[in-house]
Amino acid sequence: MFYRLSGVHHADYVSDTRIFKLPADRNLAAFIFLFGLVAPFIIPSLYLNSYILPWLIWTAAALGLNLVTGWAGQLHLGYAAVMAVGAYSAIHAARFGIPWEFALIIGGLSSSVIGSLFAFAALRVKGLYLALTTLAMQFVMDWVLTHSPAITGGSHASLQSPTLALLGQDITSDAGYYYVAFGWCVLVTIFMLNLKRTGLGRALVAVREKDFAAAILGVNSFYYKILAFATSSFIAGVSGALLIATFFFLAAPEQFSVNVSIQVLAMVIVGGLGSVIGSYFGVALILLVPGLVNGLVVAGSAGLGTQINVETLAHIPNAVYGALIVVVLLIEPLGLGKLYGNIRDYLMVWPFDQLRK
Amino acid sequence: MAEEATLQVSASETIGTLLARNASHYGSSIALREKERGIWKESTWAEYVEEILACAAGLEKLGVEPGKAVLVLGDNRARLYAGMLAVSLLGAYAMPAYPGATLEELQHFLGEVEIVAAIAEDQEQVDKILEVRTAGASGIAHVIYDETRGLGFYEDDGLMSWDHLIDIGRHDLNEDPHRRESILNRTKPDDPAIFMHSSGTTGKPKGIVLSQKNVLAAARNGHAAGAFEENEDVLAYLPMAWVGDFAITVAAALLWRFTVNVPERQETVVRDMREIAPTFYLAAPRSWDQMLTTIQVGMENSTPLKKWLYRFFMDRAVAAETRKLNGESGGALEPLGRLLGEAIVFGPIKDQFGMSRLKNAFTGGEAIGEDTFVFYRALGIKLRQLYGQTENSAINAIQSPGEVRLHTVGKPVPGVELKIADDGEILIRSDSVFKGYFNKPEATAEALEGGWLRTGDAGYVEENGQLVVLGRVSEVMYTAGGERYVPNYIENRLKFSPYIKDAAVLGAGLDELTAMVCVDFEAVGHWAEVNGVPYTSYADLSQRAEVATLLHGAFKRVNNALTEPLRLQRFVSLPKEFDPDDGEITRTRKLRRKVVEERYADVVAALYDGSKEVHVSAQVTYETGEVGKVERSLPIREV
Repeated sequence: MFYRLSGVHHADYVSDTRIFKLPADRNLAAFIFLFGLVAPFIIPSLYLNSYILPWLIWTAAALGLNLVTGWAGQLHLGYAAVMAVGAYSAIHAARFGIPWEFALIIGGLSSSVIGSLFAFAALRVKGLYLALTTLAMQFVMDWVLTHSPAITGGSHASLQSPTLALLGQDITSDAGYYYVAFGWCVLVTIFMLNLKRTGLGRALVAVREKDFAAAILGVNSFYYKILAFATSSFIAGVSGALLIATFFFLAAPEQFSVNVSIQVLAMVIVGGLGSVIGSYFGVALILLVPGLVNGLVVAGSAGLGTQINVETLAHIPNAVYGALIVVVLLIEPLGLGKLYGNIRDYLMVWPFDQLRK
Repeated sequence: MAEEATLQVSASETIGTLLARNASHYGSSIALREKERGIWKESTWAEYVEEILACAAGLEKLGVEPGKAVLVLGDNRARLYAGMLAVSLLGAYAMPAYPGATLEELQHFLGEVEIVAAIAEDQEQVDKILEVRTAGASGIAHVIYDETRGLGFYEDDGLMSWDHLIDIGRHDLNEDPHRRESILNRTKPDDPAIFMHSSGTTGKPKGIVLSQKNVLAAARNGHAAGAFEENEDVLAYLPMAWVGDFAITVAAALLWRFTVNVPERQETVVRDMREIAPTFYLAAPRSWDQMLTTIQVGMENSTPLKKWLYRFFMDRAVAAETRKLNGESGGALEPLGRLLGEAIVFGPIKDQFGMSRLKNAFTGGEAIGEDTFVFYRALGIKLRQLYGQTENSAINAIQSPGEVRLHTVGKPVPGVELKIADDGEILIRSDSVFKGYFNKPEATAEALEGGWLRTGDAGYVEENGQLVVLGRVSEVMYTAGGERYVPNYIENRLKFSPYIKDAAVLGAGLDELTAMVCVDFEAVGHWAEVNGVPYTSYADLSQRAEVATLLHGAFKRVNNALTEPLRLQRFVSLPKEFDPDDGEITRTRKLRRKVVEERYADVVAALYDGSKEVHVSAQVTYETGEVGKVERSLPIREV
C-alpha cells in the first residue's frame, strides 16, 4: 500500500546497488534518523538514558554478532568476553591519559586481535564444536578477569571509567551520552547495510551457505571466517567500551559473564539472522520487554487488587517474556526481521495477494 | 487565422532539421532509454543524433539512396529506430515489418520496391532475410544486425554488425567536417519518412508512404488537440510496423522531445512499464482488456479483506463514473470515496501496472468495451479514445479530457478537416494525409478524391461536433431478409466478454446470423481452474459443455442489445485461436473475413444445415514454419 515501485528504474549499476531502492524505505530510514536526532528534545531523559541508550548500544553489539553468526554463519557463544576485552582495554587506555577517541579504537583493536587469535584456534572445528570452543573462550575470559587484579582490580572490585571526552569536549550530559550511542549505532548500521552489497558480504554469505562450496568458487573460507571474527570483535570491543563509558560508568566482570553472551545471541536469533532491522527488534524484545512486562504485571495486579505474593509477582514477567520469545519463533522461525519483511511484502503486493507473473 | 498558421508544419521542417535542433538545443536531455541486462542505458539527443548520422553515412556508403528501400525487421530496439531515421535522412524508404512476418509477406514487400539493405534485430530475423535472399531476392545486398549473439560463424555476403556500420559511418563523418550538415539538410518535407503497409484485411497489404510533412503534421495536430505534451515519457512497445508506434515514438518524440523507453524484450514489457511509469500510453482495446483481466484475476485470488475493500471502492467508483458519462452529477460523499479509494485501492493498483504517472492514456484502433472503458476511468486513469488510420499518420480525432463519451471518438484534431460523404463515409483532409498508395494509381484514385481521404469508415458528427464511428463501410452487410448489419460491430460486442478472444459473425445473404468464436485461453483457463473444470489443451477446453454455458451468457447479453432479426442463433467454439501466422487475422489482429469463411467452410455450412456436430480439420502454422492440422468434432450450440 505504501510501497510505490512504479517509475523506479536504474540507469547504471551504481544506482542499481543503492541501499534503499524504494522511496518508501528511503523515507522511513530518513524519518527514523531524524527522529533519532531530535529524540533528546522530545523524550524525557529518564527514558532516553535508561531505555533508548542501552537499546542503541546493544543493537550495535548485536549487529556485530550478527556479522559472525548471521552473515558468516559461525555460532559464537563468547561474545560478551570479546566485549569485555574492549571495555577494559579502552578504560585502561583512557585512565592512562590517552584521548578517548584513541582509547575506543585501542579497545576495538585489542578485541579484534584477541578475537581473531582465538578464532584461529577455534575455526579448526565447525558447527556445534565451534560453539563449544567459543563457550570455552568465555569461561577462560571470565577466569582471567576475576583472577587478574591488574586488569579488573579483583573479583569483587569494579573499575571506574574516566569522564568521556570526544573531540576535546567533555561529555557529561544525558543528551551527550545519547548522541555518542546514537552515533555509534548509526555507524555500525551503515556498515552492516553496506556489507550486503560488497564482495566481502557476498563472500561471507557464500561461506555461510556451504563453506566448501564457497571454496570451490574461489572464496578462501578460512580467511573470510577470520575476517568476520576480527570485524565483529572490533564492533564488540567498541560497543563494550561505550557501554561502560556512557551507561554503566563502572566496569565489573559480571557485566560480561556467560549469560550476557547467551543474551546477545538470543537478541540476534529472535531478531533474525542476517537481518539489520531484525537486530533492532531483537534487542528491543530481549532488553526492553522484560521491564515493560514487569511494569504491566505490577500495574495489573495492583489495579485488580489481587493479592499475589512478591515472589510469584517476580516470576510472572519472566514466564510471559519467555513465552513471548517462544511465540515469536513459532510464528516466524526466521525472527522479527523476517516478520517485518513479511509485512513489507504484504504491503508491497497490496491489494493483490502475490506478485503478478 | 494566426492560430491556424502555427498549426501548419512550418514549410521547411524535416526530420533532419528537427534532429539538428534537438542535438544543438537539447543535446543533454535524454532521448532514449534502452533496457539491457536490467539497466536502462540512456542516450542524450546529442549522442542519439550522432549515432543516426553515423548510421546514415554508413548506409550511404552501402548504396542506400532515394527511391530505394531498407527493410527494418524486429521488435522494438533503439538501433532499429535510429536506423529508420537514418534511412529517412537519406531520402530512402524505411520499411518496418512485423517481427513475425512470414516469408510470403516479405516477398510481397520485395515485389513493391527495390530493397537494397535490411536492418535486423537478431539471428532469427537475419535467418529470415537470408532465406528470402536464397528464394530469389538477391537485391538485398547488405544485412545489418543489432544483436550479435549466434551470428559469429555466419559467412554470408554483406552481413555486417551494427557496430561495424557505425564505424564505417563515423570514419566517413570525421573525414569531412561538413558531412553532418549535408546529411541533415538533404531531405525536403515532401521526402519520405516511412514506408508502411495497410493491414490488408481484404487482400494483400498496400504500400503507404508517409512523407516527413505528413508525420510531423500529425504530431503537431495531436499536440494541439492535447494528446501529448512536451517531454513525455513513452514506452516503445507497440509493433514498429504499426503506424501508431511511428507517430508517437518517432514523429511526436522528435518534435516534442519525448524520452523513448525501449523495453528489454517483448516478454518483459509489463515489468518494464512499471519501472518506467510512462506519462503517455497508447494501447489497443485488446491490451486494455487484457490488463483488466489480469487485475480481475489478481483480485479474485486475493484475500477476503482485500477483495471486499476492492469491491467496496471499485463498485462506487464505477457507479460514479457511469453517472458522469451519462451527464448526471454524483453524491456529496463521492469525492471522499474517491480520495480514500485512491489511497487504499486505486493508487496501489495503478502502481503495480506502472500507470501512476499516466497523464495521457489512449485507446485506438477498434471500439472499446463499455466495462473496460468505465473501469479505467473509475481507476482514475483518464482513458480517452483516439481515431486514426495509417493513411492519415494515425491521428484524426481524439477526445479532449473534459468531454469523454463512450460512443464518440472526440472532435477532429486541429489541422484536420472532416466531412461526411452522402453515403455516410467519413472524409478527411489534412497535411497529415498521404499522397497515395505506392505504385497503385487505381487504389489511390479510389481513396483520395480532390484532396479528401476516404477513410472507409461509416460515421456521423453529433451536434456538439463529436465524431461517431460506426464501422467499415465495406463491411456493411445484408441478410437474406434485407436486414442491414455491420458484422464487426457485433463481433466487437461479443469480444467485450473477457471469455471471447476473437469472433466471426456470419449471415451475409443468409436467413439468420450465427457466429464462430475463439475463447480466451487465459481467462477461460483461469475460470476452469477456479470452477474445477478439467481440461488438457485449448482444443479440449474450448469444447467443454461448461465453457459453452459460459459463452451462452455472453451471447445472451449481446443478443439483448440487437434487434430481433439480427440476433445470433447458433455458434461454434473453434478448437484453435485465430492466428496471424495462419492468415486468419492480420498482425494487428483484425479479422480476414474471406480467409476464415473459406477455411471453415464446413463449419459455416453446418451452422445453417441443422446438423448437431461438424468435423473440422484446422490448419496450424507453427513458429518453425511447419504446418500441422487440428482435427476435431465440434458440437453446434443453440443460443
